[in-house]
Amino acid sequence: MPDVIATARKQRRTLLSEVEAKDLLAEAGIPVARAILAKGQKASVEAAESVGYPVVMKIVSPDIAHKSDVGGVTLGLKDAKSVRKAYKEMLARVAEAAPNAKIAGVAIQNMAPQGIEVIVGATTDPQFGPVMMFGLGGVFVEVLKDVAFRIVPLEARDASQMVREIKGLPILQGARGAQPADLPALEALIVQVSQFVAAHPDIAELDLNPVFSYPDGALAVDARIVLASA
Amino acid sequence: MPVDRARLHRALNPKTVVVVGDKGPNFQWITNCAEFTGNLYSVQLDEKEAAGIEAKGIKNFRSLMEIPGEVDLVICAVPRNVAPFIVADAVKKQVGGMAMFTSGFVETTEPIGIELQGKIVTMANEGGMPLVGPNCMGVYNRRLGVKFMAGQQKGEGGAISIVSQSGTHGIGMTMGAQRLGVPVTRTISIGNAAVLNEADYLEYLLDDPETPAIAMYLEGIRAGRRFFELLREGTKKKPVIIWRGGRTRAGARAVKSHTASLASDDAVWMALMRQCGAISTESLEDTIETIAALVHTPKSSKKNMALVAMTGGQSVAITDQFERAGFEVPELSDSSYQRLGEFFVTIGGSYRNPFDASSTIGRESDNLQKILEILADDPAIEGVAIELQTRDFEKSTERLDGMLDLMKQYRDKTGQPVVGLIPTGGGMGDQEEIGSKARVHVSNAGFPVYPSFRSGATALGRVRAYYEELEARTK
Repeated sequence: MPDVIATARKQRRTLLSEVEAKDLLAEAGIPVARAILAKGQKASVEAAESVGYPVVMKIVSPDIAHKSDVGGVTLGLKDAKSVRKAYKEMLARVAEAAPNAKIAGVAIQNMAPQGIEVIVGATTDPQFGPVMMFGLGGVFVEVLKDVAFRIVPLEARDASQMVREIKGLPILQGARGAQPADLPALEALIVQVSQFVAAHPDIAELDLNPVFSYPDGALAVDARIVLASA
Repeated sequence: MPVDRARLHRALNPKTVVVVGDKGPNFQWITNCAEFTGNLYSVQLDEKEAAGIEAKGIKNFRSLMEIPGEVDLVICAVPRNVAPFIVADAVKKQVGGMAMFTSGFVETTEPIGIELQGKIVTMANEGGMPLVGPNCMGVYNRRLGVKFMAGQQKGEGGAISIVSQSGTHGIGMTMGAQRLGVPVTRTISIGNAAVLNEADYLEYLLDDPETPAIAMYLEGIRAGRRFFELLREGTKKKPVIIWRGGRTRAGARAVKSHTASLASDDAVWMALMRQCGAISTESLEDTIETIAALVHTPKSSKKNMALVAMTGGQSVAITDQFERAGFEVPELSDSSYQRLGEFFVTIGGSYRNPFDASSTIGRESDNLQKILEILADDPAIEGVAIELQTRDFEKSTERLDGMLDLMKQYRDKTGQPVVGLIPTGGGMGDQEEIGSKARVHVSNAGFPVYPSFRSGATALGRVRAYYEELEARTK
């Protein structure tokens, strides 16, 4: 696998593409919904067949930060025909919304079944260095800021405390008759990300948002990695 | 650059101290060190000041270089322009270290102040000389009588050491701890922490056999990564209380991600405290009160408290506060209730736990003995908090002393925490003046005592949580 960090450095980028970020995470054994970069309708169908239907298609461009704002995300593509159609339409929409953006292609990933949305992140504190964050996704993180932090490196005990420290814990434990989330899988993922961040001092910021938490396992569905300014 | 531990040790435990630049009419540094057990010398060029110093029986020299023998600690109190010359001499003389009271450096944000501090730091680092400060009160050592405040006690056996970025809070923490009957091993006022930083002091105190526990007041953290690593391991060895000032200040950082936008200075600090198993406090009073709970109670992570209050209303209030602070107030065993029923005055009183005991204890102090004996036998109880009455205290301490004896017997027998509470205003309308005198009396008897249920419950709760966390981390 090419060294995505070295590639980004060479191209003077600090933002990794979703495909690059996920490759890096998967390489470290972190459960992510892998995305394949495809250019053209034929390549998109091949990618979809390799990850398995249904798939999600997202635009890949170093110039586009918010993909959905330019019509760059299409969900629930069930077959080759819909993939080809979606590719054509997406490129047309993006060309209109962001005519100057350089398009690397699209990212094709298997559409993961819905789980409880959580966020696992890392950032660099000016005083204490790399720091991890955990919280429930959506309104819990956006509005209520119901999150827990720990300083890297984390021990298993720290991850366990983080997951239990948030006020939204009952939602993970199976509120209103829902099946409880697999907390050990979340804890393991947090510790893996801590090790990942510790092993890559180039990484300044990382968001796995969302991570789908299931009754059995957890899966990072979207990933964003920002490198420290060189 | 790494700290020369042997030299720092000499500076903090000096046999010879030299004050440079002390001035009349008070000669504060020389006066503060009147009880110092070692050799105390002065360096002062001003002949008028030198005469005043000699008149106090302190030998004065014209330069550090003229002093015979080794110098362990230089207290530097010269104007800032002169400070670099004193540092140069101290480096040449190979002194143990220097405590620099002199201010007017980076804290002024003036170019001249920044430049002078840079000069001093470079000289100290190149000379391998530990320097405390500048812009600080320096070092206090209880055993040796090195002081920066006359009120700092001299004596053996301290129970805690204090590090403070603020001189005022260093004094406040030291004097406050003493007021609550806690001897302070050493206090280090670290000021601008330009050469030695908070991680260096933490490392020294964690390894210091004379320091059983540590309390710190900090604002900025200079060596954050090292501080985190030292603290994380260090709290397994001894308790560390940290009061951090300026926590609400927004950190300036470039934010590109969700995580970064939420990682405020305060959020990260609280995570650090929890992750490291340190005890976090929020004010001077909180810190002192937590120190008293830590020093004056046996180590315990247990939750089940017997609460003895003096009125019905107070028995509800004390329960609310202890439960809020993480404690539980369990029912007693049937046999305890049976024994209590034999003598307890239940008209205007109750012994369910919490106790409403004024009618019972008020009449006969023997009854407190009976209550404590029953509690000691009851396996449901793991600690006791007692509201102490002070109404006869002004006439005689006899009654309070009797209660303190019983509390001591209970603590010795059970090894459980015992806390005294003398609320401001008092459940029985006691006067505050008497209350504060009584608190000093209780503190000197070696018990933690608090002016409110809330402060007592909070302090004891912080200490309990530390031991619970320690057990979980070291098992």
